[in-house]
Amino acid sequence: MTDSPTDQPVVLLVEDDGLLLMEAADTLADAGFTVLEASHADKALKVLENRDDVQVLMTDVDMPQGSMDGFALARLVADRWPAIPVLVVSGMGTPGPYDMPDGARFIPKPYEPNTLVRTLRSFIHRAA
Amino acid sequence: MDTGASCKISAFQATVADRRLSALEAENHHLRALLSEASRQADAEAERNARLGRIVVSERGASRIEARRIVAEAVRMRAEAESTVEHCRRDLARGAARLAGAEELNAQLRASEEFNRRILWTTTDFVKVLDLDGRLITVSENGPAVLGVETFAGLVGRAWIDFWSAPDSRAGIRDALDAARAGRPCRFQAVLNAGAAPTWWDIAVTPIDGADGRPERILAVSRDITDLKRNEARQTLLMQELAHRVKNTLALVQAVATQTLRNAPSLEEAGRALDARLVALAQAHDVLVQGAWSSASLSGLVAGAVALHGDGVPGQFTVSGPDLTLAAGHGLTLALMLHELATNAAKYGALSTGAGRVAISWAIDETEPDARLRFRWEEIGGPPVAPPTRTGFGTRLIARCLSHDFGGAVALRFPPTGAVLTLEAPLASVVAA
Repeated sequence: MTDSPTDQPVVLLVEDDGLLLMEAADTLADAGFTVLEASHADKALKVLENRDDVQVLMTDVDMPQGSMDGFALARLVADRWPAIPVLVVSGMGTPGPYDMPDGARFIPKPYEPNTLVRTLRSFIHRAA
Repeated sequence: MDTGASCKISAFQATVADRRLSALEAENHHLRALLSEASRQADAEAERNARLGRIVVSERGASRIEARRIVAEAVRMRAEAESTVEHCRRDLARGAARLAGAEELNAQLRASEEFNRRILWTTTDFVKVLDLDGRLITVSENGPAVLGVETFAGLVGRAWIDFWSAPDSRAGIRDALDAARAGRPCRFQAVLNAGAAPTWWDIAVTPIDGADGRPERILAVSRDITDLKRNEARQTLLMQELAHRVKNTLALVQAVATQTLRNAPSLEEAGRALDARLVALAQAHDVLVQGAWSSASLSGLVAGAVALHGDGVPGQFTVSGPDLTLAAGHGLTLALMLHELATNAAKYGALSTGAGRVAISWAIDETEPDARLRFRWEEIGGPPVAPPTRTGFGTRLIARCLSHDFGGAVALRFPPTGAVLTLEAPLASVVAA
């Protein structure tokens, strides 16, 4: 790992379960990502409004604490920050036809840590 | 008259037969009177002739021949009358038998009609008879209510399909009517948008054949299956919800397993720790199930941890606090936290000697505008403790996950008297919605 920002892509993790967030953050940090955390959609939006270095967003769907769920957040981010690719993860089945914004990816929970890392890396490469 | 037969026939028919018999007998009587008058006249004539001394043999003979002819005629007529009477009697008996048969058939028909009427009256099904064009001829009592019209007059003569709006339902009805016209029965389900809310129906359609053996009318029997459909939908939703929760639980177990491996000093240590953590999670799930898997009783979670780690020794734990219903996710995190604290206490803290004990207490602080939950774990009477030298799963769980999940402040301190954990969070964010 190096300190070069290009080698440490910044990912914003939005997940209301602390343990799942901790595990995903550990996995991505080990894979060389810089991880920002938010426990619900509203906090995630604050992070995005205050920083311009977020390169990819990964969000859970069910987050009762915020004002919107992960699908709504994904659509909002795709609309306001179209350069930031979105990955949605959830234990619910497949998303409905209008849940996901164009270009977003969905991974069901539980997932293999490698799948998560590969998917996020492919996002970064595509954006670069 | 045959009285056995007469009591079975109607009074009217008996009267008619009686009258006919009386007429025949009257005629018979009249003929006999004529015969005896003729004989008497012949005898009187002969007597007069003899008395007069004038024997007119030929005339007398002729009279006798005429008289005999009349007598013979009378005898023949009488025989004929008697034969007619006999015929009438036989006809009457046959008629009576036929009448009895017809009346029995009538009684059977009436019984069958009554049976059908009772079935229609008892059933909650919607029964209707249609002509071959699919127009309503008759409907059961509930017809107007089911189809959302005021009176029977609003139904009869109207096309059945006109009451249905959903395309699938209309197609189902069209197909069923086609099948019935072709002589085939058919069964399908359809949704009716006639009343305040849509209703679901299981509909059996069958042709009614005429005397020529070809479909003449169509019978349709609809059963209300709205409740069944509603239950099916609810069950599907529950299964989806269950699948969602199971996957979330598996994701949690996966995270616990990976975190255990990440932080364990050895594989053996990791195996033991993981086993114990899974048991703690399983116990927390028992509490969750009581809250329909959407909430967990705080008292229940604490009692579970105490049972798991108290080893049945009384007085090792003192517990006090009002019961609260936590959201499911918070419940699981809290259960894992209690497990980590208790495991640590058993290894190094108050539960490592018989003398120590743990006080678990919580309260709702309503002095601030937003009520807050204050939770405390305090170890007393154990050996002197020191802060742990390495950061394990439990420490990270408490430091990172607890404050994240509860949206509050968590502190784990290790004064020499024993470990103390305090958790403070807004009540609104931890209790089940």
